[in-house]
Amino acid sequence: MSRQRQKQFEEIVERFVELKDTSELMMDLAYSSLLLNSRELAEEVQRLEEYVDKRHTDFELLVLSSKFKKEEARGFLGLIRLGVVTEKIADAAAEIAEVVLRGIEPHPVLKLAIEEAEETVTYVRVTEGSSLVNKTLREARIPEETGMWVLAIRRRDKCIRPKPDSKIEAGDILIASGYAEGEEDLKKLVSP
Amino acid sequence: MPRLEKIEYKPISVRELFLEIKNLSELMIDLAYSAALFNDKELAEDVLELENRVDTLTYFLEMEIMIAARDAKDAEALVGVSTVASAADKISDAAADIAAIVTQNIGVHPIVSEVFEKVEERLMRAKASEESILVGKQIGELDLAARMGVDIIAIRRNKDWIIDPKETEEIKFGDILIARGAPSGIKEFKELAEGKRQELKD
Repeated sequence: MSRQRQKQFEEIVERFVELKDTSELMMDLAYSSLLLNSRELAEEVQRLEEYVDKRHTDFELLVLSSKFKKEEARGFLGLIRLGVVTEKIADAAAEIAEVVLRGIEPHPVLKLAIEEAEETVTYVRVTEGSSLVNKTLREARIPEETGMWVLAIRRRDKCIRPKPDSKIEAGDILIASGYAEGEEDLKKLVSP
Repeated sequence: MPRLEKIEYKPISVRELFLEIKNLSELMIDLAYSAALFNDKELAEDVLELENRVDTLTYFLEMEIMIAARDAKDAEALVGVSTVASAADKISDAAADIAAIVTQNIGVHPIVSEVFEKVEERLMRAKASEESILVGKQIGELDLAARMGVDIIAIRRNKDWIIDPKETEEIKFGDILIARGAPSGIKEFKELAEGKRQELKD
C-alpha cells in the first residue's frame, strides 16, 4: 500500500476515534450531570452534541471522498455505519442531559444507580506554572493527590475523554468531580 | 417480522432494573466496537443477545414506573427515569447496529483495524478451559493489571453476565471472560485462559 493511502486511513481512524471518544465522554458527563444535578455539565453535553454533529459530517465527507475501489465499498460502508452510531450515542447522551435541564430534581433512583462517590463538579484551568503541564494523567496522580478525578479535558473547542496517557497542556480546562474537600487541593495543583 | 418475546410481569425494583440497563448498555458499546473492528462474530452475537435482554428490562422498567406513580408529582419525577432508561436503551440499540456490521458481513476495512489497534486498547473474549490455571482463582489474586495490563471487564457464565466482576469473583471452568488491555497482554491472557500457557509471570 502506498504511503499516501496509509496516511489517508490514519486520518480516517483519527477522526473516528475522536467521534467515538467524544460520544462516550458525553455518556459519562450526562450520567454525572444527573448524579450531581449539574446544569453546567448538562449544558456541556448539549454543546458537545452540536460539535459531534459537525464532526460527523466532516467524517462522512472524508470517508466518501477517499477514492476506494469497488471491492472496498463494503469496508467503507462499515466505516460510515460506525460513524452513524457515534452520533446516535451522542443523541442519547443529550436526551439524558435534557432531564437535568428541565429543572426538576432527578429522581433518587437515578442517583442510586450511578455508583460513584461524587459530590461536586469543578472546572479548573491549568496555568503555565503548574507542575501538571506536559505530564500524562497517569503521571499526574490527580486522584491520589486531591481525591478528585478528571471527567473531561476541555482544550480549545475540543473536549477530550481522559485516558491514562492523555497529556495535560497549559491552558487546558479540567472538568473534575469528587468530594468537595478536594476542590482546593486541585486548584492549588493547577495554578500554584 | 421480528419475533417478540411474550413478557410476563415480575416485580423487580426500579433501581435494580435501571442499574442493569445502564451497565449492560455501556458494556455493549465496548463489546460492539471490538467486534466490528476486529471482525469478531462471537462478540457480535453476544451483543445482539444482550440487546434483547436490555429490551426486556426496559419494558419491565416502564411497567414498574407506571405502577409506582401515585400522583402528578411522582409522575413528573418518574418521567425523567423513563427518559434516561430509554436513552440507555437507544445506546444498546446503537451497539446492536455496530454488531450488525459484523453479522451482516459488511465489515470494516481491515486497514482501519490495523491502525486502530495502535491507538486503542482492545477487548478479547476467551473461554476458560479445564486446564487453565485461572480456573478456581479469584480475580484479585491474579493481579492481571500489574502483570500484563489486562482487566477482566465482564464474565459470561451460562446465560448470566457478571459486569465489572469483583476482586473476590472466582473464575469457573467454562466462563467466557471478556478482557480489555494492550495487544500483547491480551494475547498472553487468552493463552492462559485456554490453558496453552501454564504459568503466571511476574
